[in-house]
Amino acid sequence: MWQNFVQYVPIILSALSNTLILAFFSFGLATVLGIVMAFAEVFTSKTILIIVSWVARVLRGVPLILSIFLVFYGLPKLGLTLPPLYAAILGIAIVDAGYQEQIFRGAIKAVSNRQLEAAYSLGLTRASAFLYVVLPQAFRMALPSWINDFTIVLKDTSIAYAIGVVEMFTQAIHVAQVIMDYMWPLVFVALIYLAICYPLSMLSNYLHSKLKMMGMLGSGV
Amino acid sequence: MLKEELLIVEDLWKFIDGKPVLKGITFDVSRGETKVILGPSGAGKSTLLRCINLLVVPDRGRIIFDGEDVLKRRDIHNVRSKMGFVFQHFNLFSHMTALENVMLGLVKVKKMPKHEAEKKAKEALMAVGIAEELWNRYPAQLSGGQQQRVAIARALAMEPKLILFDEPTSALDPELIWEVLNVMERLAKAKMTMIVVTHEIGFAMRVASEVMFLDDGMILERGPPEQVILNPCNERVKRFMDRMKYVYSLDTG
Repeated sequence: MWQNFVQYVPIILSALSNTLILAFFSFGLATVLGIVMAFAEVFTSKTILIIVSWVARVLRGVPLILSIFLVFYGLPKLGLTLPPLYAAILGIAIVDAGYQEQIFRGAIKAVSNRQLEAAYSLGLTRASAFLYVVLPQAFRMALPSWINDFTIVLKDTSIAYAIGVVEMFTQAIHVAQVIMDYMWPLVFVALIYLAICYPLSMLSNYLHSKLKMMGMLGSGV
Repeated sequence: MLKEELLIVEDLWKFIDGKPVLKGITFDVSRGETKVILGPSGAGKSTLLRCINLLVVPDRGRIIFDGEDVLKRRDIHNVRSKMGFVFQHFNLFSHMTALENVMLGLVKVKKMPKHEAEKKAKEALMAVGIAEELWNRYPAQLSGGQQQRVAIARALAMEPKLILFDEPTSALDPELIWEVLNVMERLAKAKMTMIVVTHEIGFAMRVASEVMFLDDGMILERGPPEQVILNPCNERVKRFMDRMKYVYSLDTG
């Protein structure tokens, strides 16, 4: 009965903060790692490029639940015991870093070589050309995919349920078990996820069309 | 007293994928001169221009610019800051307004204070006929002709000793070509030293001090425009010019 369920809504919503903490911190950490990997690939040696792109590919290949379990159950064997919340943040960040590496490296590569040549022709050094021309454009180009990636991470946080982090999805399951009805709690959290993701994906689309208008999604020549 | 030659290119060779694209190009450019390079696509014209400011590094030869051996310089960016380059596809920085495009080199290369750079950039934009209401537009909001004039202003603001033009009107609608050529013609009259790769033989007739015809990586003929365009000696050049004259309906009587 949904009347039965309504009184539990505040309990589910009280766990939204944990869901957001998981999402923001794992996404933030993954962004830092992703950018570091992308920069390492673009600005250092060929050997490092091969190693880093290989690492990123491996990270993308790890199932999320496996990554979280490895951090939570595996790391204690190496002497590092993390509370569930931290373990989940790290587990999600590791996998997402692999995706963000792709987003940022792709964006840097997508800045047209013509832009770089124009910068050089003015007498800018390689460092300045990247700092003032390539990177500002790369970050703008990365923005739509980066926002999309956040929506994916937000939904992925529900997997933290598996190691007992009390986030929104976990709380919904708990409520479901109490009222012996899974339908309403699950539909309710689905709507919350949607309410956050939908505007973000609209924003991502808007930014994408804006970039197109500015001629920044060209052929990459 | 300054030496008359601003640029000397000596026996310049460039190989791309093992094939020679430039085969021992030798020429010089005097101060205040407008040199026009004509020739078919794939002749090596763009590569030659790019070699001069080292966007492409030549394999053999010497480039003396303003008395210095460019290929021996390690700080090539300092040489480039004295040489403007105008690209076929304008290559304006797409995340910057017209004004910011012109200011970037002044602020980051010439280390000019912002307000001074802004003043100078505005002067340069005015000089190429870009009105104030366009200064804060992004490249995508400008017509091709306007973009190319902003690109010329960007090069001009750096007060270069030489400007290289790589087919500056080839990507433009016919109606917009005029406004760009007009700006270039004024620069030529003001004794700016320029090397212009173009197909605009009318422009070459009016302003070129010398025309060079390039094909297959070699200079086939060079001389005053009346000679190379209207009365070439070389058979290949003659065939090319006959067709150009037909396309541009340049009546030679």
